[in-house]
Amino acid sequence: MNKYSYDELKIGQKESFEVVVTEQMQTSFLNLSGDINPLHCNCDFAKEKGFNDKVVYGMLTSSFYSTLVGVYLPGENCLFQEAEIQFNKPVYIGDKLIVSGEVTEKQDLYKRIVVKAKITANEKTVSKAKLTLGVLN
Amino acid sequence: MDNFEKLQTIFREVFDDESLNIKREYSAADIEDWDSLAQINLIVAIEKEFNLKFNINEISALENIGDMLDLIERKLNE
Repeated sequence: MNKYSYDELKIGQKESFEVVVTEQMQTSFLNLSGDINPLHCNCDFAKEKGFNDKVVYGMLTSSFYSTLVGVYLPGENCLFQEAEIQFNKPVYIGDKLIVSGEVTEKQDLYKRIVVKAKITANEKTVSKAKLTLGVLN
Repeated sequence: MDNFEKLQTIFREVFDDESLNIKREYSAADIEDWDSLAQINLIVAIEKEFNLKFNINEISALENIGDMLDLIERKLNE
């Protein structure tokens, strides 16, 4: 786990990691959230609606933004405060996601940073986000 | 747009409320969603809009929107 201090963080600093979405993750998220919408748990329904398969929960995919800031950028000193998230394309079980972020702003008074982040799968952007977080002393 | 109107625009954006009409005497007690995170977002937005830098002592001394406006105008004239 990274442990950047506010002063160590620079505009333009980048971090990324990869993760493969599994059926177990989807089932765990269903149990955790109680979101039984068939788009996420019924393959036939999803196909009827024009998708290739069950669609991975957008908030499951977005949970990796938490990992991005909580583990990588800045890591241990992170206090996650805001997220503005877009779900641009569907994600399917088995997709390999690349989660990446770049520091685009530093707010000295409150030691906050803004991270412009995105998630790609199969070389396409499936999600974009603006993440705002405090950096603990 | 004068400084009060600019401040009003910032408040409306931060609180996502286009009907919000601020008054000089308003404080956090008068705007329901004005919590600590909103305060941070307000100050950061004000710094950007007016191209100013505040310090913690200046912010801690603010008691209402009038104080905030006075501080902005004092810093702009420095």
